[in-house]
Amino acid sequence: MRATFTRYLSRHPGAVIGLVLLALQIIAILFAPWLTSYSPVEADPLASLEPPSLAHWFGTDVSGMDIYARVIYATRINLLISLTAVAVAFVIGVPVGLLIGFYRGWLSSLVMRMFDFIQSFPIFVLGMALVSVMGQEIWNVSIVLAVLFIPMFARVIRAEVLSLRERPFVAAARCSGATDFSIMFRHILPNALTPAIVQISISVGLAILLTAGLSFVGAGVRMPTPEWGLMVSSGAQQMILGVWWVSLFPGLAIVIAVLSFALIGDMAKDLSDPTMRDRR
Amino acid sequence: MTVAVRLAGFWGTVPRPLKIVVSRLFMLVPQLFGVMMVTFLLVRLLPGDPALLLLGNMATPETIAAFRERLGLDLPVWDQFLRYVWSALHGDLGTSIFTSQPVVSDLLERAPATLELITYAMILTILIGVTLAIVSVVRPGGAVDIGSRIYGLAAGAIPDFWIGLLLIYFFFYMLGWAAAPFGRIDTFVAPPPVVTGFYTIDSLIAGNPQAFFSSVGRLVLPVLTLAIVNAGALMKMTKTVFADVYRSDFIRHARASGLPERTIRRIALRNCLPPIITLVGFMVGFLLGAAVLVETIFSWGGLGQYAVQAVVNSDYPALQGFVLVAAAFILVVYTVVDILYELADPRIRV
Repeated sequence: MRATFTRYLSRHPGAVIGLVLLALQIIAILFAPWLTSYSPVEADPLASLEPPSLAHWFGTDVSGMDIYARVIYATRINLLISLTAVAVAFVIGVPVGLLIGFYRGWLSSLVMRMFDFIQSFPIFVLGMALVSVMGQEIWNVSIVLAVLFIPMFARVIRAEVLSLRERPFVAAARCSGATDFSIMFRHILPNALTPAIVQISISVGLAILLTAGLSFVGAGVRMPTPEWGLMVSSGAQQMILGVWWVSLFPGLAIVIAVLSFALIGDMAKDLSDPTMRDRR
Repeated sequence: MTVAVRLAGFWGTVPRPLKIVVSRLFMLVPQLFGVMMVTFLLVRLLPGDPALLLLGNMATPETIAAFRERLGLDLPVWDQFLRYVWSALHGDLGTSIFTSQPVVSDLLERAPATLELITYAMILTILIGVTLAIVSVVRPGGAVDIGSRIYGLAAGAIPDFWIGLLLIYFFFYMLGWAAAPFGRIDTFVAPPPVVTGFYTIDSLIAGNPQAFFSSVGRLVLPVLTLAIVNAGALMKMTKTVFADVYRSDFIRHARASGLPERTIRRIALRNCLPPIITLVGFMVGFLLGAAVLVETIFSWGGLGQYAVQAVVNSDYPALQGFVLVAAAFILVVYTVVDILYELADPRIRV
């Protein structure tokens, strides 16, 4: 197993880059206080808008906060929001998808129509409206994203279940006296999970972009919380005047985070695809 | 019974294109009803008194009482919803707290700016996305194929608002090539008289080259921002569709029969049309969401910026109105896309 995994990595530089970028984020989350001596929320009016230097590696923003410290600490907030949202969406979406795929009646079609409906709204517009209505708190951003993502997970699982429930092994389980519950969760679910797991990495990337976008327009977390989208937004005005460092670095952090999950998603897709097994 | 049979018989004689259009338009009604339910519930989700929230802090007790009366807040929720639908259908979406104008006239005033931005962004997105997809499928392993793979990965990870700021920094601040990111037209140029609401078209109609070049200049960076971010996704999806068709049996047969490569490419593309139309429809939804961010950066003065203002000022009538109009617009786009899809693919039975 380990040998095949190293062989896969040696042939797929993208996967290696993805893992390295993920490692950087984990280090930033765990060791933030050791990586910088500055506080991420402490303003220093005397050091406003200083360009990158040895004292302030990424420069300072308009209120004199150290951008390097804020970028590092923001990893915690951004990934916390995004991972929580995706985890909640996974935990709710997967059983719902399993149920509406297994039992096909009016209730299942009603739930599907509801999902169609939620997904027909432009996701950013609906997210923005919901967060601003519920109140601009970190947890509300997570909850809103989770609600928007539940249909995605339910849909992938449902599609798998629809084909799996007709397979002979399900009939065999039923003949040996298995209950619906045990058929669904012990026999079908393990076989249906792969696409949902690939969907996790896609959703985390999307969640990071949406979180940052929401804070950017003022419908997310508020100052002085270190959050990437908010930081890009705080530098937007100065960009026109040639002050590039306030927005550049938090934006790069967003790109790194989203890219790492996209690359890891590609890897998960390859590794879970049985037809790829020989080529590993 | 006989009426139903007759109706069925009549339906059978209706020409196919008309059948497609009518049946799709028929489905639009319950969908729009659902959209209104969501926007209605949106404001009901709020803790507190909807009347107070919809009127803002400046409201006097008398106006609040009158407004409660009008909304029917003491009536059952179902009645309240019907009242909301009734007034929305009559073009009354309430009054914006921030601009003190009717929300409908605010939205109508700003819609052309957003539509102009989205239209040009859409055209550029399709040009970039579809061209890259075709070239990388026709020449696999070539420079375009490899480059577009990296671009597709990167485009999916770049936030649109950030790339917009970088473009401003490079092309406006550093190089001085681009127009200033403040609105749709230079301040010293008078906007052309409104015909279509698109500055680029109206200025041509008015025969005003100065306004034309000014508005084109202002469009360059926001359109580029939207296209860079969205063309990647369109390219990836088009590539999958086009590659499937390009390697299918009927194309192999066409090649074996000695058809020139140009013709083969055209046939393959024609067969990709239905899924590409659907993708393009989805892109409109993406672009509308992205326009909210991009308009803020470029002070575009369209619907998106209006929505952001509504969020920042807790202007709930404006926000509710924007969500309703945006969702209804997307539904209409999806309907048009469905109709085009069925028209483009003669195999689909209506």
